[in-house]
Amino acid sequence: MASKQKTDVLQGTLALMVLKTLDVLGTLHGYGIARRIEQISGDILSVNQGTLYPVLLKLEQEGAIASEWGASENNRRARFYKLTRQGRKQLQVETQDWQQTAAIIGRFFEANAEDLS
Amino acid sequence: MKSLRRFFARLSTFATRRAQDERLREEIGEHIALQTAENLRAGMSPVEARRQAMLKFGGVEAMKEDYRTARGLLFVENWLQDVRFALRSLRRTPGLTAFVVITLALGIGMTSGTFSMVDALIFRPYPVPHPSGVITLASTTRESSFDEFSYREYLDIHDKTKSYDGVIANGDMEAVGFSAEPGATPRIKGGMMVSANYFQVLGVAPRLGRGFREDEDQVPGRDAVVVLGPDFWKQEFASDPSAVGRIIRLNGTQFTVIGVAPETFPGMEIFGHPDLYMPLAMARAFSTNPQKNFFEDRDDRELNVRARLKRGTPLQQAQNELSTLATNFQGEYPKFNRGRGAAVYTQFETRIREDESWKFGVTFVVLALAVLLVACTNVAGLLLSRARARSHEIAVRVTLGAGRVRLIRLLLTESLILASMGGLGGIVIGYGVVEWFHTFQFMTDLPWAVPFRMDTRVLLASVALSVFSALLFGLAPALQSTRADLVNALKAADVDVPGRKHLWGRNMLVVAQVSMSLMLLTASFLMAHSFQRSLLERTGFAKDHLLMVSFDPRLLQYNPAQTQQFYKLLAERVRVAPGVQSEALTQNVPFGGDFDDMAFVPDEFQMPRDRENFNSTMDSVDEGYFKTMRIPILRGRDFLASDAAEAPRVAIVNERFAKHYWPAGDAVGKHIHLDNRAGTLVEIVGVAQTIKYEGTIEKPMDFVYMPLAQHPIARMVLMVQSSGDPLQLVQPVKDIVRSLDPNLPMLQTRSYGDFYVNQAVKGPRMGINLVATLGAVGLLLAVAGLYGLVAFNVSRRIREIGIRIALGAQSSDVLRLVIGRGLLLVGIGTVIGLAMGFTLEQLMNSVLFNSGGVDIVAYIIVVPSMFLVTTLAAYVPARRACRIAPTQALRYE
Repeated sequence: MASKQKTDVLQGTLALMVLKTLDVLGTLHGYGIARRIEQISGDILSVNQGTLYPVLLKLEQEGAIASEWGASENNRRARFYKLTRQGRKQLQVETQDWQQTAAIIGRFFEANAEDLS
Repeated sequence: MKSLRRFFARLSTFATRRAQDERLREEIGEHIALQTAENLRAGMSPVEARRQAMLKFGGVEAMKEDYRTARGLLFVENWLQDVRFALRSLRRTPGLTAFVVITLALGIGMTSGTFSMVDALIFRPYPVPHPSGVITLASTTRESSFDEFSYREYLDIHDKTKSYDGVIANGDMEAVGFSAEPGATPRIKGGMMVSANYFQVLGVAPRLGRGFREDEDQVPGRDAVVVLGPDFWKQEFASDPSAVGRIIRLNGTQFTVIGVAPETFPGMEIFGHPDLYMPLAMARAFSTNPQKNFFEDRDDRELNVRARLKRGTPLQQAQNELSTLATNFQGEYPKFNRGRGAAVYTQFETRIREDESWKFGVTFVVLALAVLLVACTNVAGLLLSRARARSHEIAVRVTLGAGRVRLIRLLLTESLILASMGGLGGIVIGYGVVEWFHTFQFMTDLPWAVPFRMDTRVLLASVALSVFSALLFGLAPALQSTRADLVNALKAADVDVPGRKHLWGRNMLVVAQVSMSLMLLTASFLMAHSFQRSLLERTGFAKDHLLMVSFDPRLLQYNPAQTQQFYKLLAERVRVAPGVQSEALTQNVPFGGDFDDMAFVPDEFQMPRDRENFNSTMDSVDEGYFKTMRIPILRGRDFLASDAAEAPRVAIVNERFAKHYWPAGDAVGKHIHLDNRAGTLVEIVGVAQTIKYEGTIEKPMDFVYMPLAQHPIARMVLMVQSSGDPLQLVQPVKDIVRSLDPNLPMLQTRSYGDFYVNQAVKGPRMGINLVATLGAVGLLLAVAGLYGLVAFNVSRRIREIGIRIALGAQSSDVLRLVIGRGLLLVGIGTVIGLAMGFTLEQLMNSVLFNSGGVDIVAYIIVVPSMFLVTTLAAYVPARRACRIAPTQALRYE
């Protein structure tokens, strides 16, 4: 159960990272997204880049991103993803949520026993 | 919303899942290629670069699994796998599969076929929009909860009730003489008088033209307009739109066609589909009872009244309102309405009251369900033995990690496939049964049809039955076989420890089968037997060498005097025609089922305080009737030519009537008053033997005969007794009729013997055939089941038997060993079946035959033959066991 929750959180954050990445960099293929997330987040994707693909599929099914075939930098067929309008909205909402949650959690961690009494 | 959208996305990707797999593969390839290139740039060796890229990507297969889960409908994919697997394994045992499918098809087909009957008789909604809002208003008396209303009563209900969006009335469908051209001989069609608001309140818009206007139903006899039924329009006018506006003749009166009812509306009745609809105000052209004034007499009750309940008005409120009205009627018109109430009925309540044939339908459905149950137990038994044979396979699956739920689902999928194939076959058989019902013909000139058909509701019921039976016969084997003891099952040898608990289920099945089919057989035998007996019982009248022809001179606008003159001349001339032994005129023939009721008060009889009069069935006949029909006059005299219109009124009653009202003395010479205490005095001059009047299975009923001259009726049946074939008299009679009036049509011209057989024998015989078929199928299934069980036991214990024989057991010992259990089961099943048979007999007696007592003969015949057949089913495989050669048996496996 615990491990499942962990993947849920990971998947949730991963989805948000994907959306943000596409928001910042525009159209990108899977490898590009993986690289970008890796650069910024360090090791979260360093072992299991493959986990990205189910997340991409889920986002696409939800209509947050769209995909089409294109040519990659070494001129091979690659699947390119881009943010849809709905995805942009979703990103906004989720960013806000996330910041709120993070702020609350942060306050909890900062709080000392004396503050609560 | 999001999840819904995702579901549809999944659904669509599910359809294209191969392309999706390809896409993922390509994306992974590209991803790794890009990562490898990157690694190469970082200075790795090509092999190392690729290895690192793969490592970084992570477990491809695990990811693919995740991807698939996210992508599609995993359970559907798994299920499709199950289906494929199940189909494969079913194909491996074609014989078993075929047996199971046929068995189920029979059970399901019988049930859906018979259900079509109950459906048509009870459940099928009226063919109008919002049918549930249409309720029926009925007049009620002590004897009847479903009587009709008179025209005056209808008008009062129409004007004084507030619960409805409209109250409508219609008469029964009557024979109407129709001719398109003035000169043509009229032909008989079914006409129905309806109130002007009939179509509008029901919500039926005419296909062509218009419906009736309110003012067309106000002045008696003024507006001769007619709306055509859809079938009639098709047959008589070849669906010609210009039919609207044409003049046609109905009973000699000119009517203007104003509209055509739509195809979707064949009428409100179950059987009859009217050809013509006329306004009530035209009743005189179709008058049924010349003694009554339709528009004035409050006791001329000929109208069915229906109403559309206002939305949101509870039925109880409508009932209260109508009850109040009925109470007012009692106060205002004590002469006509004493003891008379009123009730509102929903469609369901109406249907179970207006026609009692549904009782037979329900009986058939119950019996068919019993067959289906036998079939299911059979199939369950077969699947159980199959599951045993597969226990090894299942054990392997479990060891390899298959979940129990998944396994049960796999096995249930198999049952479901079997059931759907059986269901399909069942629907075909159901269609066959319905077709067979349709071979029944109504002996009438009116547009009556067998209404049974396989419609959506019946088909849905069949599908539901299939699924239900799949669960019924699939679940037990699935549960049992997945509980298998792994270690034992994997040890491969199919060794059975005696006395294992799981055999209990199979034994139960056999007991259930035997008892169920015994019950079925008993039922069919009982029906056949009691019907046979009632056929042998004297009906009390002659049927052979009789020709019947009906006439209705009203079709040519004869007045009553002309009509009676016509009948007088007809009788005189037919009587002396060559080949004619005797002739009779009667309002109705026995088993014609249309006798009138009459109200009367016996003279010098102490009436119960709350009763105005009594009722009896009656017939109007001429002086040749009792002789021609060979109905004995027990006391007193026959009607004579001298019992003319102006002579003192006389009547002949049947013996039951006489005993009923004058238990001590002789009825001859006593008097009755017609209608009520102040009514016309009629002397009883004779007592006739009680016969069967309306059906083979009927309780003796009161009956009164009146002389035609004193009780003139317009529509009469001529009965002619011939010395030879009655149909040879058709031409002479035709000549006589033509000499009297060339335009008068001869209706229902047929041999009375044929008519009687159709009315009295064919319908019941169809029912008996149906039940007998059900019983036979049930027995067949039980025999197959028992055979299967014993054969299975033999094959399971083949090694044990081999050893026993090797050690010197005689074949009789082996036989006892194998067959003993089977016989015990048959015995238990027989006892239970007998108990169920008795119960069913009581039920059938009370519902169908109105007779008590136990039919011993049925049991004497059914039980031993049942026992014999089932024993044989057990004996055949047991016999094989005796012949087992020990060497071969021990080498087995």
